[in-house]
Amino acid sequence: MNSGTLQLDSQRRQNRWYCDTCVPAQGVTLKALEGEMVATSPCKKYMLWIDGVGAWQLCVGESFIVGAPSFEKKSADIALLANISRIHASIKRNSEEWRLTAHQPTTVSGRTVEQDTVLRSGDEIRLAERVRLGFRIPSILSTSAVIDFESDHRPSHSVDGIILLADHCLLGPRRDHHIRCTHWPDVVVLFLNEGKLRCRSKAALSVDGQVAADSIELKHGCVVTGEELRFRVEQME
Amino acid sequence: MKFTFAPEARPLDGYTIKRAVHRGGFGEVYYALSDAGKEVALKLLNNNLEIELRGVRQCLNLKHPNLVTIFDIKQDGDNDHWVIMEFVSGRGLYEVLRDYPNGMPLEEVLFWLGGITAGLSFLHDRGIVHRDLKPANVFQDPGGVKIGDVGLSKYISESRRSAQTQSVGTVYYMAPEVAKGRYGREVDVYAMGIMLYEMITGKVPFDGQTTAEILMKHLTAEPDLSCLPAEMRPVLAAALEKDPDQRTGSIEELQRQFRNVVQTADMAAPVPLAKSAHAAAPTAGKRAAHVQTPESATVVDVDIQSANPAPTGIAAVVGLWNAIPTPLQWVIGGAGALLILESGMLRSVAVGGMIGGAAYLGYKILSIFGGEPFRTKSTPHQAAPIRPAAAPPRGQRPASPAAETRVPSDPIPARRYARNTRDRNYTPATLRKISKTHRATDMTTSITVSLAASALVTTAVFLTTDLLIDSAQAVYFAAITMLASWALIIPSKIWEGRRGDSFTRRLCLGTLGLGVGFLAAVLPEYLLISHDVPFHGGFNGGPVLVGRVAVADGTGFPTVACFMIFFAALFSARRWWWQVDSFRKARFRVSSALFTLVIGVVIAAVLQKFSFPEALGATWALAISAVVQLSAGWTPAEDRRLAPAPAPDKTPDRSVNPPAHMAKAEQASFN
Repeated sequence: MNSGTLQLDSQRRQNRWYCDTCVPAQGVTLKALEGEMVATSPCKKYMLWIDGVGAWQLCVGESFIVGAPSFEKKSADIALLANISRIHASIKRNSEEWRLTAHQPTTVSGRTVEQDTVLRSGDEIRLAERVRLGFRIPSILSTSAVIDFESDHRPSHSVDGIILLADHCLLGPRRDHHIRCTHWPDVVVLFLNEGKLRCRSKAALSVDGQVAADSIELKHGCVVTGEELRFRVEQME
Repeated sequence: MKFTFAPEARPLDGYTIKRAVHRGGFGEVYYALSDAGKEVALKLLNNNLEIELRGVRQCLNLKHPNLVTIFDIKQDGDNDHWVIMEFVSGRGLYEVLRDYPNGMPLEEVLFWLGGITAGLSFLHDRGIVHRDLKPANVFQDPGGVKIGDVGLSKYISESRRSAQTQSVGTVYYMAPEVAKGRYGREVDVYAMGIMLYEMITGKVPFDGQTTAEILMKHLTAEPDLSCLPAEMRPVLAAALEKDPDQRTGSIEELQRQFRNVVQTADMAAPVPLAKSAHAAAPTAGKRAAHVQTPESATVVDVDIQSANPAPTGIAAVVGLWNAIPTPLQWVIGGAGALLILESGMLRSVAVGGMIGGAAYLGYKILSIFGGEPFRTKSTPHQAAPIRPAAAPPRGQRPASPAAETRVPSDPIPARRYARNTRDRNYTPATLRKISKTHRATDMTTSITVSLAASALVTTAVFLTTDLLIDSAQAVYFAAITMLASWALIIPSKIWEGRRGDSFTRRLCLGTLGLGVGFLAAVLPEYLLISHDVPFHGGFNGGPVLVGRVAVADGTGFPTVACFMIFFAALFSARRWWWQVDSFRKARFRVSSALFTLVIGVVIAAVLQKFSFPEALGATWALAISAVVQLSAGWTPAEDRRLAPAPAPDKTPDRSVNPPAHMAKAEQASFN
C-alpha cells in the first residue's frame, strides 16, 4: 500500500510540475477547450516501424490537435515533449485544404496566426517560442501532409515524422513520397477504406505471412513483408 | 534488405525490437525499447567477432558527448553477442552528404569537423584508434556530433602498432599504411582528410570501379587538390600524405590548420559560431553554424557592409544608375536612345565611344603590364575582429546559460544569411551542371519568345523613328533582328554554365555575325523590298577594295561585305552570353542595351566611310540587345540553385528525377 501511495504521489507531483509549466489558455479555460477538442477529434493513430527507414506516426482523421502530452487525459494527437500547451493548435482538413487554428501563440512561416490560417506546403509552424515544425505536401497525387520536426522537440519516443492521412500515404523511394524509403524498389500505398487502414502495392506483399492479392487490411500488430521491405503497423491508444 | 529478427522479437531479456536500423559490415543494428521504454540500439555481432568484441570491451566505459555510448554487451539464448548502445536519432553524415553533391557550406564542414575532432582526440588521448572512420559512422544528434562504431577501435600502444593481419575499415577512407597492417592514429587523420575533401567537394579523392583500384590509388596516386580553394590545398595535402610519419601529426592539428585557413581567408562567412558540445544540436537538415572547438571558442562577426570600400569613379556612376528604380531606368534609357538616334547625335556619341574605348584599352594594357596598379584593392569579407566568447574550458559545462547565449540561439538567420551570400555570387560565370533537357527547353523557349520580342521591338522602332518607311521594311528589320538574336541565343545557351574562354566565344559569335550580315545584305533583293532610304549611307566615296572584296562600291549603298563586317564586329564586341545567361543580373538591363547601342553607333560610324547606314546600324544594335534580353530565359536570384552534378561513384538516385512512367503508374494504382 505504501509503495502504491508513493507512486501515486510521485505521479501527481509530476503532473503538477507539468501543469505549472504549461502555457495557460487565452480566454478559454483549458478544461473547456480540452473537452470540446477531444469530443471533435476522433483521430486514429498508428505507428509504422519501417526496417532500415525509421518510425513514423500516421494520424487518420479530419482534425488533429498539436500540444504537449497529458498524463491525466487523452493526449494531443501530435504530442510533443515541449513547453507548450496541451492543446496548442489544431490542424484541420477541409477537402483539399489544410487549416491551422491557433489556441496559443503560433506563427506560420513568420506570420502570427490570430485565429486560423491556411497551411501551404513548405510552411514552418512555430509553437510558442522554440518548437518548429515543417508542413509539406510532398505528392501532387495526394492531399496527405507530412509534419517534420525542425527543432529538436519530439514525441516521447523517436519518431521521424508525422503523416496526416487525407487519402493516401505513399511509402517509396522518391522524394515526393510521404515516407522516403530509398532502398525500396516499389511504392506501397496506405489508404483508408470504410474506416479501415489498408495497403496495396505492385510489389508482392504478405501481411503476417498471408499473401496480399490486391489490397489488404492492416490491423494492429501486423507485419507487412515484401522482397526488400518490412514494416509493422501498431495502433496507438 | 532482410534482417534476422522480426519486429517485436525479444532476443535479449528486457528489450523488444521495434525495427531494424541497418546492416553494417560487422552486424545488424536494431532499434529496441527496454521494458521501461528506454530507447536503445542493439547491435548483433555476426562477423569479425573477435575484433569487434575486443574493441567494444575496451570502449565499454568511455564517456564522451561526441561518442556513441555503449551500455553493455550481452549474449542471447543462441550464444550470439549483442552490444547495447545509445540510440542516435539524427541523420548520418553520409545522408547529409547526399544533400550536397557539390560540397557543403564551410560552416557545416566546420560543425562536423569540430565534433569529430573532439570525439577522436578523446579516443586518441586514451591510446585508441577508431580505424573505421567514415561518413556512415558519424551522426548528428540533439547532443551534437556522435561518432559510432567505436567498437572497431583497436587498443594501441607504440609497441602494438603493427602485426595486425586482418584489415578492417572502409576502402574509400583507408590509409595506405593499412595495407601493411599498420594502424596508428594517423589512420584516423587520413580518414578525416578524405572526409574533409568529400565534404568540401562532394566527392572522394580516390575513386574507382574496384576495391583494388581504389586501394592502389591510396597507395600511389596523388589526390587532385585543384578543385579545392588554393589556401586549403596544403592542409589537405598534409592530411592525405602517403607516409604516416609525414602526415599531419594529430586530429587537433588538422582541425587547427583548417580553421586557420578558413578564418584567414575568410571563406566561411559567417564563420563558425562557438557552441559547447553539450548544447542542443541543430536538427536534421536545418542546422545552425555551431562549431565546437576543443581549445578555445571564438565568435567571428563578418560585417560585409563595412568591409566594402566606398565606390569611386565608374563604380559610383554604376551605383547611381542602379539606385534608380527600374521603371525610371526604362524611361531614361528609352529617351536617351531616341535622343541618340533621332537628334543627329550619332556622330558625337560615336566619337565619345571611340575615346572611351581607346581609354579602356589603354587601361587594360597598363593593368596587364603594370600588375594591376589601377585597380582598387578589393577587400570583400574583411577578416572581422575576433572576439573570444568566454567559452568554458574543454569538457566543462558553461557556468550559466548566459555563457551559451553569447552565441545567437536561433540558427535560422545564420543559415539564411549564408544562403543569401551564396545566391548573390551566382553570375553567368558560375560553372554549373545543366541537364540537356533543361538546356534544350530553355533554348527553344527563348527562340520562341524572340519572335514576339522582335515584333514588339520593331513596332516600337517603327512607331518612334522615321527609319522604316513601310511595313515591308519593318518585316525585314524584324526578320534580321530575330535571326541575329537566334545566332546569339543558341550558342550562348549551349555555353551556359560551362567553362569557356572569352576570345574563342567572341570569335564564334563574330563568325555567326558574318552569316547574319550576309543575310541582311541579300534578303532585300530576294524579298524585293525597297531599301533606298534606310540603306543609304549618305557617303558617296569611291569604291574600296580589300583584296578582292569590295567593302564599298561607290554607289552610296553598303556592300554585302560591309554588312558582314558590321554584324561580325557587333557580335564580337560584346559578351553576348552574359546578356543571354539565366544567371544575368536582371531580365532586362537598360544599361546593357544602351551600352550595346553605343558600341553599335561606334561600329556604324567607322563603317560609314564605306557607305554603311549609321542610323540603321545603331538601331539594330539596340534592337538586338533588347530582343536577346527580353527573350532569353532568366532565373531570379532567389531561385538560383546549382543543380547537383551526377556522382559517378554512387548509385543513381531515382528520386531526383522521378520518371514520368512511375508517376503514371502511381496514378493508375489509385484508380
